[in-house]
Amino acid sequence: MSTTKTITLNNLREEYEREVTAPVAHQEVKIELSLFERLYNISALRKGFILVLLAVIWQIYAVNLNNELMFPTFSDTIKGLGQVIQSGELVNRTLTSLKVLSIAYTSGILLAGTLTVIAITTRIGTDLLETLTAMFNPLPAIALLPLALLWFGLGNPSIIFVIIHAVTWPIALNIYSGFMGVSNTLRMVGKNYELTGLRFVFKILIPAAFAHILTGLKVGWAFSWRTLIAAELVFGVSSGSGGLGWFIFEKKNQLDINLVFAGLLTIIIIGVVVENVIFKFIEKRTVIKWGMKF
Amino acid sequence: MSTPSTPHIPFVDVRHLTLQYKTTEHLVTATHDVSFHVEKGDRLILLGPSGCGKSTILKAIGGYMKPVGGSINLNGVEIKKPGSDRGMVFQEFDQLLPWKTALENIVFAIRETSQCSEVAAIQEARKWLKKVNLSKFENSYPHALSGGMKQRVAIARCLALKSKVILMDEPFASLDALTRQKMQEELFELWQETKFTMVFVTHSIDEAITLGTRIVMLSPHPGQVVAELNVDLSAYDSRNHPELIELKERISRILFKDQLDYVI
Ligand SMILES: Nc1ncnc2c1ncn2[C@@H]1O[C@H](COP(=O)(O)OP(=O)(O)OP(=O)(O)O)[C@@H](O)[C@H]1O
Ligand SMILES: [Mg+2]
Repeated sequence: MSTTKTITLNNLREEYEREVTAPVAHQEVKIELSLFERLYNISALRKGFILVLLAVIWQIYAVNLNNELMFPTFSDTIKGLGQVIQSGELVNRTLTSLKVLSIAYTSGILLAGTLTVIAITTRIGTDLLETLTAMFNPLPAIALLPLALLWFGLGNPSIIFVIIHAVTWPIALNIYSGFMGVSNTLRMVGKNYELTGLRFVFKILIPAAFAHILTGLKVGWAFSWRTLIAAELVFGVSSGSGGLGWFIFEKKNQLDINLVFAGLLTIIIIGVVVENVIFKFIEKRTVIKWGMKF
Repeated sequence: MSTPSTPHIPFVDVRHLTLQYKTTEHLVTATHDVSFHVEKGDRLILLGPSGCGKSTILKAIGGYMKPVGGSINLNGVEIKKPGSDRGMVFQEFDQLLPWKTALENIVFAIRETSQCSEVAAIQEARKWLKKVNLSKFENSYPHALSGGMKQRVAIARCLALKSKVILMDEPFASLDALTRQKMQEELFELWQETKFTMVFVTHSIDEAITLGTRIVMLSPHPGQVVAELNVDLSAYDSRNHPELIELKERISRILFKDQLDYVI
């Protein structure tokens, strides 16, 4: 070895040929994780931990503050929450809100869907959609409340009107940009099967643009939920049965501040559940399964 | 061939075809005065350099583009719009519907273009998947298939339409050489089973000779027909037969008259 032997690239490594072995069934490699590591790997658990921490901070702060009119403790809030759930009051209010919301949300989706289908099939429809969204998308829904009051009076129709306004434009924009982004190849495949009109829209465009559509629905949901609560806070009552927003307003007037907090908590919980359970579920079943989103 | 009493009507008759693209700024002439015939059972190859208008001609036969001059007739009827009698396989890998599995893609094609029942369509689709050796992957979504597998599904899907003519736009262009050769062989075997009529676009001389019965050669942009040749690979016992090598040289001479060392 010590003798001078020139090393070239060619004699550095031996050449070889070999038979490949039959593929071994995939072997799982067991890696020992400590209990802490295993728990830490569960995302829900990490988030749950943060929630608990927040609750503890809340509790400590509120106990120290000792002013239940300004900032009730976490335990009081939970106790209040339990009471209004048991008495059925909160459940009724929530159902009222959700009913109004689903009417407005589905109307908004249908309106947005119709507008976009017209927009992609006719040139004037495109102009119409572009003009309308440019005009109305920046207009905050709450700004329409006084007008809604004037036209529809105090009550649900007014709220539905402003929510439809809040959801239609962002949903329409997303569906439209989704449709426009459908690849020319897929369109040609659809035409090859002689799909035209609504059959083309439903069998090619909608599934192909589903990632965008879902985004639109999510944004629309967030807008509608916020608008609903805001609108109810302003004038949610008709025939004594308002929704969640009204519940909060009412409890503030009665100085049941822990119930105000309970109402807010309910709003948050419903928002989180819809985002992280319902929409996640739809996503897993569709766009993630199809490889359109990861 | 044709008896004098009944004049022969070509199966696909492309006559003086001129195709243009209108962009906002100018008019691009893609092909100029292109004529050729496709006969039943033909494997007609459109061969030419990149940008000469091969895909454009195929799109016109597919009915996706209106000619500015000339006409295309299928069975004596002028082609006006897309239809399932002209099944198409595209060059792009995104031609499978991503929301449907390999099997569902074929089932969808069958059911949208015929009165087939669900059960019969599934059976038929399985048969076609088997022919392209993808039975194991019938439940895979396109995003989980390799490029070559996707093209095989697309070919199976297209053949399942039982179109009068099959239009293929460089379906193997973006595959590696080995896969490409294998797929050419597969396609040829499929053809031997059903003897479909096919118009196949390529810019590879080897592929043209391997697959074709007749080669239509186009000049660089704007595409014009510069030659038509008959080929029959099965007449030769080896791919290195001197006549084949001579044929290749002849084709490249025709295609690249003065740029002899042009490589495609
Ligand atoms: N959508 C379009 N708009 C304007 N011009 C186009 C369009 N598509 C193609 N062209 C032009 O038409 C000509 C022919 O294009 P085509 O796609 O048919 O070429 P090709 O022969 O298929 O080339 P390749 O082998 O690279 O696929 C090109 O010069 C191109 O510039
Ligand atoms: Mg092309």
